[in-house]
Order: sequence, then structure tokens, then C-alpha cells
Amino acid sequence: MTKQRTTSSNTEAQPDPFEVWRKFYDANEAVWSKAAKETTSSEAFAEMQGRMLETFLSFQKSARDAMNAQLATLNLPSRDDVARLGEIIVGLEEKIDRIEDHLASLAPRPPARAKASRSRRS
Amino acid sequence: MRAPVLPLADPVWSSSDRALELMRVVATAKEAPVGQTPKTVVWRKNKARLYRYQREEPATRRTPVFLSLPLINRAYILDLRPGNSFVEFLLEEGHDVYLFDWGTWGPEDRNVTITDLVTRYLPRAIARASASAGGPVTLLGYCIGGVLAVCFAALHPDAAVKNLVLFTTPIDFADAGQFGIWTAKGRFPIERIRETLDVVPGELVDVGAKMLNPIGSTLGTYLQLYEKLGDPSFDPRAWQAMYRWVNEGTPFPAAAYHQWITEFYQDNLLVKGRLRMDGRPVRLGAIRVPFLNVAATTDTIAPRTTTRVTLASVASRDKTEIVIEGGHVGIVVGRTAKMELWPRVSRWLKRHD
Repeated sequence: MTKQRTTSSNTEAQPDPFEVWRKFYDANEAVWSKAAKETTSSEAFAEMQGRMLETFLSFQKSARDAMNAQLATLNLPSRDDVARLGEIIVGLEEKIDRIEDHLASLAPRPPARAKASRSRRS
Repeated sequence: MRAPVLPLADPVWSSSDRALELMRVVATAKEAPVGQTPKTVVWRKNKARLYRYQREEPATRRTPVFLSLPLINRAYILDLRPGNSFVEFLLEEGHDVYLFDWGTWGPEDRNVTITDLVTRYLPRAIARASASAGGPVTLLGYCIGGVLAVCFAALHPDAAVKNLVLFTTPIDFADAGQFGIWTAKGRFPIERIRETLDVVPGELVDVGAKMLNPIGSTLGTYLQLYEKLGDPSFDPRAWQAMYRWVNEGTPFPAAAYHQWITEFYQDNLLVKGRLRMDGRPVRLGAIRVPFLNVAATTDTIAPRTTTRVTLASVASRDKTEIVIEGGHVGIVVGRTAKMELWPRVSRWLKRHD
């Protein structure tokens, strides 16, 4: 009995860390958000962010150029080559769309639909 | 007695079922069912799909609604889940509903521009929707989808568009908030992005959106969930659907992104009347159809400074603005949307049917 009570009392005393964290957050969120907004709205932050992005892109470009060079040495198509093929297919689809548009512009407008359309607007 | 290696670990795992539930809800959110309203594909081009939503009864309103969605997010935001779906609401109100989903762009789309979307994709999609419905449509654009809709309407005054509706659409970029500061000329490496990336990854755009409110969009999200999990009436599936959408960005074709940043954010050509697409000027003054602009007071993506001039910029004689207390996404699909925004939009659509 004594042991049981002790365990129960320990559980009650045990703080729920999430609850503690939530209270801490509720008490400070407004201040943190205001500070974060002020920081991220500054020109200095924007410049730093731009420089970080520039650095990331430089690495990305180097890695991509290196990979393309290796694939070319191995006579294998690169991602750019496959993308170019995809672009050609999408370009063909655009040409078909233009032909369809042209054919549609030549076809006489069905009288029934034109009438229905007029009555709908009235 | 041995001291625990991680002092907080035991209480977390043993005393809080909610903590475990929180982790389960977050981990399984990417499988949350979304976009469940039945639909059929009417037309397709490249990755884009024009959907027509199925109706059980014939439409009771004459003018169908054509939804033009943002490029950077998944289209299911307007059909999130049953009971919280703008599409479902419009169907119930008696409209035929078409949704133009841009799909997921790949490296082969690196040279697709905003101009392509406005002059080659949208005109055909709207013509197909109009032909399928047998009459003109109400064109409704959300965020960047609204910018595309505005450019389309300005370039095609004779198109089968009866009304134009914009949801939280930035038009004037002179003071575009934090995004405007970050993407300013000389600071933002837009040329380097264009020459390096085929598509701007959704994650990169997502990081930018989260940086608008770094505390609330990270810690706040999970603490709010933790709190809600203590409420027996809370349905985690609704939270999961929204969490999935927020974290499931789509890639942006590099050429379109370049045009978006340089011509809209940096040079603000649209509102100055100097934007040209396919050699033709895009003049907001050419828009004469009945017009509804919806803006949010605390929007950080399309701040009020970017939406304030919209109404005055178009030449429509019949024009209305609804300004709602809330944020960019919240007013459109948040908990209060179906009581606040949707009925007001529906009443406007009914008057302009």
C-alpha cells in the first residue's frame, strides 16, 4: 500500500514535458515571432539569404557540370539530354494543339449550341 | 539507482500518450486522403489537366466555375476533404465546376514561362470548359492562379469568361512584404537560379513560405496539434490533410520563376501597365467583366499592400471587394471559410449567374 502510494505520488509529480514546453511557448511566442519578423524583414537578412542561396547554387552547378562531363565520357545521356527529348515531345504537343485550334476555327459553329448559349445569357 | 541517459525521454514516452499520437499523426499525414470529389479529365496538355467534377443532379446555376490554381501548390487545396471542400460547396450550390491543375513540372519544362501558361494553356483550357459546359464560365483564380487569370482576362477580353473572381491575388508588387524584400534586385540570385536549376524545387519555395513566420510555422504547428489532440472532438484527419498540403509543394519551371520574380516582384510591370506577353500589352484596364476581389487582412504571402489597388485597376463597372480578417490560406480553406467566405462568394455568383 505504501509502495503504491509512493508510485502514484511520483507519477503526479512527474511533469509532462510537452505541457511545460507549451506553457513556455505560449508565454514567449509573441516576442519570438516579433523578433523573427523584424530580423527576416531586414535588408541584412535578405542579403545574407541571397548569398547563401548563391553559394548553394554554385555547388549545385559544379556538381551538375561534373556529372554531365562524366556521363559524356561514358557516352551516356545526361539529365539535360533526356530533358531536351521531353521538350521536343512537349513542343510537338503544342503544334498539335495549334492544328486543333485552327481546325476548330474553320469548323462552323453548331446552331443548336449557339442558340442555347444565347438563351443562357438572356 | 542509475540516472537515465536522456532525462526527459522517460516522461515523454511513458506519461504522454498524446506525444505518441502526435508523432503518429505527423508521420502518417503524407498518406491523408485528399481531393476525393469524383472528377473526369476533360482536356490535358503536358502535365496540366482540366477536370470537370461530377454532379449527381444537373446544375441549377447557369454559369460554371473554372478554378485557376497556384503554380507552387497542389491543386487539391480547393477540394481538401469531404466537408472541407470549396469544390464540394460549389457543386452543392448548383454550379458545374472545372479545375485546371498545372500538375508537377519536370526538367523538360525548364523553358515554360508565365507567358506560355497565359497564352497557350489557359485559353485552350477555358475554351474546352466553355465548350463542354455550353456557355461562358466564371474564372476564379487563387494566389498566382489569380495573377494568371487576370493576365488572361486582360489579354482575351472576348474569351468565354462571364465573371472574374480573385482570391488573395497579389497585383501591385511595389510593397510586397517580406517576399518583396528577399527577392529585391541585387540581392536575390535570380539569374543564377535560372542558369542552374531546371525547376525550382517545391522545398525551396516552401522554405520561403515558412520563413514568413518561422516560429508559428514550425514550433507552433506541432504545439497546436498537441493541444488539439487533448480535445475528444478533434478529427486529426482534417489536420493531416492541411499539413500534407502545406508540406507538399510543387516545382516551379525555372523560366516561369524567373519571369515571376523579375517582371512581377522586381519590376512590377503588371500594375504599371508595361507587362507584355507574346508582344501584346497586358492592361488591367482591358478587364470589363463583373469582378470580385477577395483579400485577407493578415495575409503575408499577398499582403494587403499588394491587393489594395486591384479593384481600381480594372475597368469593370460591376466590381466588388470582400476583405476578410485572416491569412492567405485560412480565409479560403480554414475552419471559418465555409461560414464566412464561401457563402459570400456564392451570393455574388448567384447575382451574376
